[in-house]
Amino acid sequence: MSAQHTLTIQTRHEAVAVERLLQVTRYRGFTLAGLELKPLADVSGLLITLSVVSDKPISLLVNQLNKLYDVLNLELHQAEAGALRA
Amino acid sequence: MTGAELVVKLLTEHGVHSVFGYPGGAIMPIYDALYQSPVKHYLCRHEQGGGFSAIGYARASGQTGVCLATSGPGATNLITALADALLDSVPVVAITGQVSQAVAGTDAFQEVDVLGLSLTCTKHSFYVRDVADLADTLREAFALAQSGRPGPVLVDIPKDVQLAPVDYQPLHLTATSAAPELSQFAEKIAAARTLLQQAKKPMAYIGGGVHMADALPELNAFLTATGMPSVTTLKAMGSVEKTNPLYLGMLGMHGTQAANLAVQQTDLLVCLGARFDDRVTGNLKKFAPEAKVIHIDIDPAEINKLRFAEVAMLGDLKALLPAMTVAGDYSAWKTHCATLKQQHGWRYDHPGERIYAPLLLKQLSERMPDNSVVSCDVGQHQMWVAQHMRFNSPRNHLSSGGLGTMGFGLPAAIGAKISRPQDTSVLVTGDGSFMMNVQELATIKRFRLPVKIIVIDNQRLGMVKQWQQLFFAGRYSETDLSDNPDFVSLAAAFAIPGHSISHKDEVESALDAMFSWPGPYLLHVRIDETDNVWPLVPPGAANHDMMTDLPQWEE
Repeated sequence: MSAQHTLTIQTRHEAVAVERLLQVTRYRGFTLAGLELKPLADVSGLLITLSVVSDKPISLLVNQLNKLYDVLNLELHQAEAGALRA
Repeated sequence: MTGAELVVKLLTEHGVHSVFGYPGGAIMPIYDALYQSPVKHYLCRHEQGGGFSAIGYARASGQTGVCLATSGPGATNLITALADALLDSVPVVAITGQVSQAVAGTDAFQEVDVLGLSLTCTKHSFYVRDVADLADTLREAFALAQSGRPGPVLVDIPKDVQLAPVDYQPLHLTATSAAPELSQFAEKIAAARTLLQQAKKPMAYIGGGVHMADALPELNAFLTATGMPSVTTLKAMGSVEKTNPLYLGMLGMHGTQAANLAVQQTDLLVCLGARFDDRVTGNLKKFAPEAKVIHIDIDPAEINKLRFAEVAMLGDLKALLPAMTVAGDYSAWKTHCATLKQQHGWRYDHPGERIYAPLLLKQLSERMPDNSVVSCDVGQHQMWVAQHMRFNSPRNHLSSGGLGTMGFGLPAAIGAKISRPQDTSVLVTGDGSFMMNVQELATIKRFRLPVKIIVIDNQRLGMVKQWQQLFFAGRYSETDLSDNPDFVSLAAAFAIPGHSISHKDEVESALDAMFSWPGPYLLHVRIDETDNVWPLVPPGAANHDMMTDLPQWEE
């Protein structure tokens, strides 16, 4: 059963950070359902809200994203199990 | 100094004495700085060769390998080596030149987005915009390559940054963070010890992470104290002491029958620095079906990725293995494993006068000097090396495991020889793989590297041919290599002497001649194209469902 998950991710202020997030999301088998991005107030980094859909455990993606050099903090906000299709 | 000179200064700061690469327009300032510098540059004849030589250097020595390439095609030629290093967790720093920032993004000559290309096959890639950031970036690259689960890091440096003036500031060492207290694992260690005491049929499944954690003494003490049988992955061969009677060999698709059968029967799988790779598990759902799992690794992403672990610890094997050591009563299981090992030993009495590659490799293993480094390529010969040769350290067996890259062997053997000049470097390759980086014979010639090359030639892409025979109705699509060059003449063109053999009674004298020759040498070995690698776990099957051509029994 597919589920939608929302992650809030703080990264360094580098475009490459966004590239990596999207690469890993795709490669690990998660479908992008939403993406919001804005610089932190002090412009020291980016605050990214990433929504994904997959029938895989979200921990697989969280563990991979946490390894990325540019990811400074990551929080998993919600998991909505349902009939969503990847 | 210039940014380019700073690069060389930082290499020396990190103890880098040898680098591998190929010059070109966008990296010329760095090559100019290397000229007459204390850093020895080994000119390879293709950037992929430089990348694999850096991997061979790193894997044989435990140090970080360094490779250089120019922008555009130079950098793209490194990509395969970077992917290889990522999948086998090899610390490599790749430094690429890039077009000047004034023309960046204009599709300038030899401009390609190396940062974008390399991100998915490195731990991280950096693009240096300002020469003021160069030192910190390179220091970060070396630290990142070695830390945690090691891997490749790329630093892309535009030409204008290489030419810009900068001051060198020596590295001020700061206090490093202390290792995590073992007490944080107390609960999990207790749980692991309980599982070990409750188990009747435990099995240690050992991966490359153990030796990379410098934990081989602790591993062997753990195996001795617990009396637990063990198996290894391809990358961990040589981890278990040769004298251990309950070491069952490599597991997986071409593992030993004893290893695969025992793992399928175990009730407790102790996974140490391994990752449940599909070549190891076969059908994952049917892998070790009765086993609980203890999994220790340094990479959090590997825990519960493919197999749930009842006890998982993210930490240093060097500290955790002694802490979880507890003896159990496994006597019946040990007897059973010893019996499996005896029943399914290898057989070498191959009929006929042709050379049987498994026997040749056994003879090679017995005759080569102690502490030789054996590099191999990918295919049937690679699996025969894993099955029939014994190693006293994983650093003595260099094999492209995760990516399975043909062409790996020759440049890896070069890197190994340069990192450990006192040890013999042996390459075992196949006729298909050898041709993929054959230009590196010129590197051997240039630096007079005494690498011993054994080309096992069945005039086929043997592993693919084997699968065509077994699973594609004998339709041998594009696997006939019977138009191979004359390999001995080819070596001679690079001033490397050689000899060709095709009968089993020629083997021992040929090996002796190769090892007694003071320089590089190529031994061409013709084998029968019908010889296949056994056992084999077919795709989708469980590991106990092995296909075997001949029964294997004790030598």
